[in-house]
Amino acid sequence: MAHAYTPGLKVTECTNLRVRRILPISGSVHVEKGQDVQAEDVVAEAQIPGNIFPINLANLLATAPAELQNCMKKEVGDRVEIGDLLAESKGIFGFFKTQYHSKSAGVLEAVSKITGQVILRGAPIPVQVKAYVTGKVIDIMPEHGVVIESTVAFIQGIFGIGSEAYGPIAVACETPDEILRAEHIKPEMSGCVIIGGARMTNEAIAKAVEIGAAAVISGGIDDQDLKNILGYDLGVAITGTENIGPSLIITEGFGDIAMAERTHRLLCSHTGHAASVNGATQIRAGVMRPEIVIPLDQTHSSDTIDEGVVEGILEPGVTIRLIRDPYFGRIGQVATLPSEPQVLGSGSKARVLTVTCENGEEILVPRANVEIIAD
Amino acid sequence: MQTSFLHILKAIACSLSIVLLSAIIANGQEAEPDQPANVKELIIKDRDWDNGDSLIVTVPLSDFYFKKLQDLEQADGHLLIGMSEEYGGAYRPVSQFPPNDGTWEFDEEEKTLSGRVSSLTRHSHYYFRASWEPEEGDLTLLAESTEPMQSKRQWFIGEKRNLAFVGFVICGSVIFFIEIAKRGRPLKVRKIAGLNAVDEAVGRATEMGRSVLFVPGIQDLNDIQTIAGLNILSHVAKTAAEFDADVEVPTSRALVMTAARETLQGSYLSAGRPDAYNPDLAYYVTDEQFGYVAAVSGSMVREQPAACFYMGAFYAESLILAETGNSIGAIQVAGTAEPSQLPFFVAACDYTLIGEELFAASAYLSGAPEELGSLKGQDVGKIIVAIGIITGCIAATIDQPFSFVLTFVLIATAILLGVWWILSRETSQPSLHTPG
Amino acid sequence: MPVISPDEINVILATDCGSTTTKAIMIEKIDGHYRQTYRGEAPTTVEEPAANVTIGVANAIAEIGELAGRKLLDENNEIIRPARGNEGCDIYISTSSAGGGLQMLVSGVVREMTAASAKRAALGAGAIVLDIIASNDKRKPYEQIQRIRELRPDMILMAGGTDGGTEKHVVQLAELIAPAKPQPRFGSEYRMPVIFAGNKEAWPMVRDTFDDSVELSQVENVRPILDRENLGPARDMIHDLFLEHVMAHAPGYDKLIAWTDAPIMPTPGAVGNILKTIAEKSGINAVGVDIGGATTDVFSVFDGEFNRTVSANLGMSYSISNVCAEATMPNILRWVHVDMDERELRNRVKNKMIRPTTIPQSLEALIFEQAVSREALRLAYLQHKEFATTLKGVQQQRTVGDLFTQDSGGNSIVDNMKLDLLVASGGVLSHAPRMEQTAAMLIDAFEPEGFTRLAKDSIFMMPHLGVLAQVHPQAALEVFERDCLIYLGTCIATAGKPVPNKVAFEYRITGDITAQGEILAGELKRIPLAADQEARVSITPHRKLDAGNGKGQSVEKTVHGGTVGIILDGRGRPLLVGGETGYSRQDVSQWVEALNLYENESLVSSK
Repeated sequence: MAHAYTPGLKVTECTNLRVRRILPISGSVHVEKGQDVQAEDVVAEAQIPGNIFPINLANLLATAPAELQNCMKKEVGDRVEIGDLLAESKGIFGFFKTQYHSKSAGVLEAVSKITGQVILRGAPIPVQVKAYVTGKVIDIMPEHGVVIESTVAFIQGIFGIGSEAYGPIAVACETPDEILRAEHIKPEMSGCVIIGGARMTNEAIAKAVEIGAAAVISGGIDDQDLKNILGYDLGVAITGTENIGPSLIITEGFGDIAMAERTHRLLCSHTGHAASVNGATQIRAGVMRPEIVIPLDQTHSSDTIDEGVVEGILEPGVTIRLIRDPYFGRIGQVATLPSEPQVLGSGSKARVLTVTCENGEEILVPRANVEIIAD
Repeated sequence: MQTSFLHILKAIACSLSIVLLSAIIANGQEAEPDQPANVKELIIKDRDWDNGDSLIVTVPLSDFYFKKLQDLEQADGHLLIGMSEEYGGAYRPVSQFPPNDGTWEFDEEEKTLSGRVSSLTRHSHYYFRASWEPEEGDLTLLAESTEPMQSKRQWFIGEKRNLAFVGFVICGSVIFFIEIAKRGRPLKVRKIAGLNAVDEAVGRATEMGRSVLFVPGIQDLNDIQTIAGLNILSHVAKTAAEFDADVEVPTSRALVMTAARETLQGSYLSAGRPDAYNPDLAYYVTDEQFGYVAAVSGSMVREQPAACFYMGAFYAESLILAETGNSIGAIQVAGTAEPSQLPFFVAACDYTLIGEELFAASAYLSGAPEELGSLKGQDVGKIIVAIGIITGCIAATIDQPFSFVLTFVLIATAILLGVWWILSRETSQPSLHTPG
Repeated sequence: MPVISPDEINVILATDCGSTTTKAIMIEKIDGHYRQTYRGEAPTTVEEPAANVTIGVANAIAEIGELAGRKLLDENNEIIRPARGNEGCDIYISTSSAGGGLQMLVSGVVREMTAASAKRAALGAGAIVLDIIASNDKRKPYEQIQRIRELRPDMILMAGGTDGGTEKHVVQLAELIAPAKPQPRFGSEYRMPVIFAGNKEAWPMVRDTFDDSVELSQVENVRPILDRENLGPARDMIHDLFLEHVMAHAPGYDKLIAWTDAPIMPTPGAVGNILKTIAEKSGINAVGVDIGGATTDVFSVFDGEFNRTVSANLGMSYSISNVCAEATMPNILRWVHVDMDERELRNRVKNKMIRPTTIPQSLEALIFEQAVSREALRLAYLQHKEFATTLKGVQQQRTVGDLFTQDSGGNSIVDNMKLDLLVASGGVLSHAPRMEQTAAMLIDAFEPEGFTRLAKDSIFMMPHLGVLAQVHPQAALEVFERDCLIYLGTCIATAGKPVPNKVAFEYRITGDITAQGEILAGELKRIPLAADQEARVSITPHRKLDAGNGKGQSVEKTVHGGTVGIILDGRGRPLLVGGETGYSRQDVSQWVEALNLYENESLVSSK
């Protein structure tokens, strides 16, 4: 394989982004094709069937399940409120009747002749899908969702927690290698997407939570701090449902690591612009990375339609980042690509490349441990 | 941890010092002063550490009688102790020497002979006379008491000190183990296969769509085995409630039926399924032993329960029930403390709780520190008894002169070993095994 | 698919589409024997941007083609068949675990009985079981429904009740699953396949409970009576539906299905297949492990009884962070004999999780990664032992003699003392720079007792051979024996806690090499014995230790060598390392030295 590749994360100044906004179950779509939508507009809505309350009425009334049908005072499909008489046993010659008054509200969904079980279904739970990015609806999937296209600046992070958030961009760290500390976060950043530099500290996150920031974006985070914030040790990298307040996105990795210069520059250039952020990450089959989407005004237009990451090719001169200790976080350029596998410090043999670091040092690393920085 | 041990030690030390103190007090009682010549005054003392029913009568003897009584072959008569409720009244003989029944003792220095008079009534006044009764001829009065004497009761019967010691050790170990259990140190209880099998048996019944049969023995609630059975019923019923299976409890006593219903209801409630409780499943059949058995066996053959539990007191019906259950292919778990019925259960059932296991079950199931502690404490008692029996046997087989020392040494070593073994097991075993 | 008689098969091409790489191997008939000759690898292309699995397959095959100097693909990137001269191959087969493999939800009445049988059937078919819904899983019905809704399985297997047994519970479960309407992973046009393998008398009622939104099918009961399991029909149905539904909805698989000459199997199913075949053929008890990036599979065959478990969140890249969370850092660091900074390690672990493809470059990183793998393997094996049990709910036959030995059902059938062969595969084990490291990881994690032969799958060929065994068993067996396994050697260990500073056992070795001596408590010793050598080893353990014949009893066996040789292990079982009572770091350093695991100089230089 002469062209081993490593997928880098997308950092684009201007691209056409298409997002599919799909309901988990079928429902109704509120917008039309060609319509312009704002990020927080509700584009589709559905009613998830309510919770189920099974009641074993046959036992409660001391009747056989098969006879339960005759005891029911409500029909399947009837609305039942708390305290309503749901069923009454026949009793003996009309005496000694047992009654059952419902303890939960809902719609009577089923009466089982075999188990004597009655199922009440509670009120449906509404689910709303927002547009997420400001843009134009270009396609409608009836009852399911929409596709929205927008010209945006698009930045992928490596890892994030928390779900979708919206807010204007506010820069807290002026340089990418500045550690994001509590004092960088000002009260006026409330509701903003805060841009940090290198590692975000525990105190900074606490402050962001306190002022009610929409999101915090920085180069790295200490795992110990992440554990403190979440209250548990994150085991599997499937996130998006955490509820800590602001969504957190790290663009480079764990530990002390500066945000990539380009990413930081791009984010800073959009200070004050509205951004949509999603911290959901899934590092599994069906990989999902957290993202920052900054819709651009109409004057920008892009010919590229971006729906994902394209593979880069490793060749001398390409800018790469080392993504494994002991050189974690360093940036350099591919110098040579020896074709023969070489023995590493660990004793194992692997295909390697030599990298010229920014400080001029030349080091040998396995090809698996580098990442192309998208240009 | 440390302080509580000290408390226990202090308590034991306190009780010991009280025992010693009262011993000193009880020893402080003195005999009456002397009487005029030839008829001497009897020295009468209350016997220490008794129930207040005996006195020690010490007869001062002249050299003549002393020698005569010491050399039993030369004795041509015997010493007779007479007793009366009033001085000079009708003295009835209460004891004599020879023969020596083990209570008589000579004192060479004082030239006295002491003996015990028992079966007295507490707080009554007694007068004694010691006379010489030759084989032929009249009685010679040797000594008498002129002052009335009463027997007194001490708070502790000295003869029972062995029991007290054992009692202390067992109670102490019970308290000790309860404390240990309360502190969360795991106490190991041997796995009781029969109880672990409850889930399996009830599961089988659930999968096969059949009911679970529970027979709590044929005795009434006054039998401890029935109570133990109902304890297990609560566990079985809770499992059944979780699995949503039916438990049928036919009883042969009305009171047991009521208790069984209460147990069932409690279990369904604690399993979070009060709606699944059906009181009709615990019902009364008949008090008649074989009428009951016939009814239960009949229902077994018809309903084919997939799991049968027999927990309680069983007699001749044990094999009938167990055999019927076996023939319908049910998983059967039995438990009884009736030794005569155990072999039948073992042969016909899948699992059997043997004797004590039936009672240990509730501690095993609940895992409560008090119950676990008492279970462990009782084990210590059993170990001591077993050690006693073994050392006793060894001592009895070995020559007399060594036996006392040997017994002592053996018992001491054995107890130390036993305690060390128990403690080492407690610390090395990782966890208490309790089901569910 | 063309039908070729087995005798005419000369060139076999097999691929395994893993979640990150697609591995292809070529098997050729050389001098009348089948041998594995070339292999190729390419990244799996099931995700965006390619979103077509066949591209990765074609790349991997192209690499073989280059190496072998054989034209395997035509201009349209299709495999050339049959083989003609220096072109094409006779048959092409494949396995797949891409896209997260086959994810299933199973249900049964009692968790330990029919639900366990259903789980066994699903696992045996190569699925990942997301959850088990049972009547006694201590969840309230609404919680169960909630759970069913959250999960996105590819398939549901319903069991419950013996034939003629409970109907109530089975229907109740159906009544829970039907209204919950579980959502499949692949879009809404996909109809969820539901297999019913429970009480056949409950089938009509179950059928009535579900509507058209699911693809309902019935097979024979997995537990027709409680005393017997019947997993075959359910397993076969899972395979069929896997191909028909799950695979058909994954990108590019329709094409791949058309290419193959045998049904595509889920990778773990194929591995289980070959291990089962080998254990049956040689009459041994074997355990196989495949530690991957996201999951760890453990397979075992004890007395002909096959079991498989998947530990879904124990792995070395995607799941490495979960291993650290489950095992806890102190437990991992107890295997590390050098100083490491915990905060730094935590960050490294997370960085590996978010960039799963990186490999350890420094020796320190390697030591740490191997420590993590020991814990991952240990936890996976623990889960396996708990799952691989005898059937529960079986009526026992007893005599009065059993009074004090009333054993119950549901005991683990995994017995390390009876284990004959331990096979390792998966990156961290098979790519370890030194074979000694692989052997050490296996011994530390699995704690084999008595005499156990250790081997590793040379290039992770077992999945390919598993499928091949179905088409051409002879070829599969020949390749397995000649090319698949690399024998590491034999581990000899005693069970029980050895007395410190006393001799754990004495050994006497005769045959191709001769040696004798004593192994102290806590000592490890390696005696080289090459793969083609044999030796007779006699062990006399301390009176408290057991080498297979009971405490203090001598054992004598013939052992085979390997790249590592004989490893004499006097550390005792269970192996207690770390903590207050276990072996200290100093002991761990001694073991590292005894087995010559790492080169010391390079550790110094890397630090």
